[in-house]
Amino acid sequence: MKPMHEQEQINRLMSKLYSQSREAIFFFNTAGRVLYMNPAAERIVDDEVLRQLYEGHAETICRVCRGYMSETELRTCIACYFTNPESERFSSFQVYLDTVGKGVIPYAASYHTLADEDVHVLMLRDLSQQFKTQESFYQNKMMKHVIHAQENERRRISRELHDSVAQELMSAVIDLRVLKYMTGEEELLKKMRQTEESMTRLLDDIRNLAVELRPAALDDFGLEAAFRSHFKRIQQSYGVTIGFESNLDQQRYGSELETVVYRIGQEAILNALKYADVDHIELMLREENGRIWLIIEDHGNGFDPADDPIGTGLGLYGMQERAELVGGKVSIYSEKGKGTRITLDIPIISNTHGEGQ
Amino acid sequence: MNDKVNYQRELDEIRALFGYDFMALALAEPAEYHYVIKWKYASGNLNERFKDIVLQSGRGIAGMVFKTGKPFMFASVEQDVPRDAMFNYPIIRTERLTSLGAVPVWNDTRVAGVLLGGYRNDQRVTLQMMQELNELAHLGIGALNGKEYTPS
Repeated sequence: MKPMHEQEQINRLMSKLYSQSREAIFFFNTAGRVLYMNPAAERIVDDEVLRQLYEGHAETICRVCRGYMSETELRTCIACYFTNPESERFSSFQVYLDTVGKGVIPYAASYHTLADEDVHVLMLRDLSQQFKTQESFYQNKMMKHVIHAQENERRRISRELHDSVAQELMSAVIDLRVLKYMTGEEELLKKMRQTEESMTRLLDDIRNLAVELRPAALDDFGLEAAFRSHFKRIQQSYGVTIGFESNLDQQRYGSELETVVYRIGQEAILNALKYADVDHIELMLREENGRIWLIIEDHGNGFDPADDPIGTGLGLYGMQERAELVGGKVSIYSEKGKGTRITLDIPIISNTHGEGQ
Repeated sequence: MNDKVNYQRELDEIRALFGYDFMALALAEPAEYHYVIKWKYASGNLNERFKDIVLQSGRGIAGMVFKTGKPFMFASVEQDVPRDAMFNYPIIRTERLTSLGAVPVWNDTRVAGVLLGGYRNDQRVTLQMMQELNELAHLGIGALNGKEYTPS
């Protein structure tokens, strides 16, 4: 036994805990009637149930309880904690309650018996916030995996097309050229020229496809080179010029960071092509104070960020997601009739020697 | 170059005949330029920007006609082209076209060029007009003989 004054202090603290705790505490007698419940517990259940609980109807708790999680089921009433208080598993378990205002939410629960008192105590701790945190953490991790997997797959197919398919086709074209010197027959020569022409165009199509999937230049020569060749293609295909300014020179960073910067730049340019209605887009790439900055700017239509997106709106979301993968941030500034500016900044530290992908 | 003069004059004449605001002829570049498809001649053009466009097979208006060998039209650019798909057709932007159609120009059973006609006002290209343009293209333009591939 503890000295009297200590015991008193414990009692005082316990009663304060009982009334102030965010954890819900229920005291039941052996018949399953509520003896007492603390304010946190009262907040969970609606007034009608509360009244019935206090009036002492047995098993009223079942009106709010939506089952507990067992080894085999997500939510079950089989071998309920209420009827099997002695079971070892109910020292800590997860239970679902239909609460006022928040719907069905998960709780971490414990159900135990106070010896010599014939009283059971049910204590509940709200898990929804914890679950939300866990879920967003998990989502982020999954997104990262998906993006990695996608980039890897694109890189693999791109390399395959470039190194294997295009190479093979190239040697066929060369064979065809050699063939032309083996005959003087005009009819044959004409046919060969036509075949060479379509094969050469096919070869270019395959190379374009490979670059569009993932430019080898990004892996081999870095951001600046990859951007430059991308812009050349944009200018040729869409007639839009892109002003490119960079102070990176030949500087290389982790593969993950480079991929993020390239993809976000690509997406921003595509958005400008689709919606801005401009002939010129400015892109700036620089390293400053240990951070990478990417700025894409146009003086076109612009938009109100508060409006419903014209497209899916997923492009902007995807940019943000990608940036977060490397601890970066995308900010979008746009005004109707004035244009749009998208800024990406990423800290280089911890990204310099990325583990690759 | 003698060829060039011929193509340009022919294109101007065709435009006068049909009354289009704008006409252009896309041809494949020679071997040293990898046979890429470009708009080589234009009549009634607003500027020279069409010359910068390089088309990939299957992309853009000329690219699609080149690949499929079939006529193609946007009777109304406003209605037929979604705003966020417009960037795929740079010629519409650079020449401010409101309605257009394009037909393949054949040479020795291969598509060798694309002939495009379009308007900038509220006039609309019709199927009938496309058919006429297609028939004309089959007579040959410049060095292209117009001979289409017919499976036997």
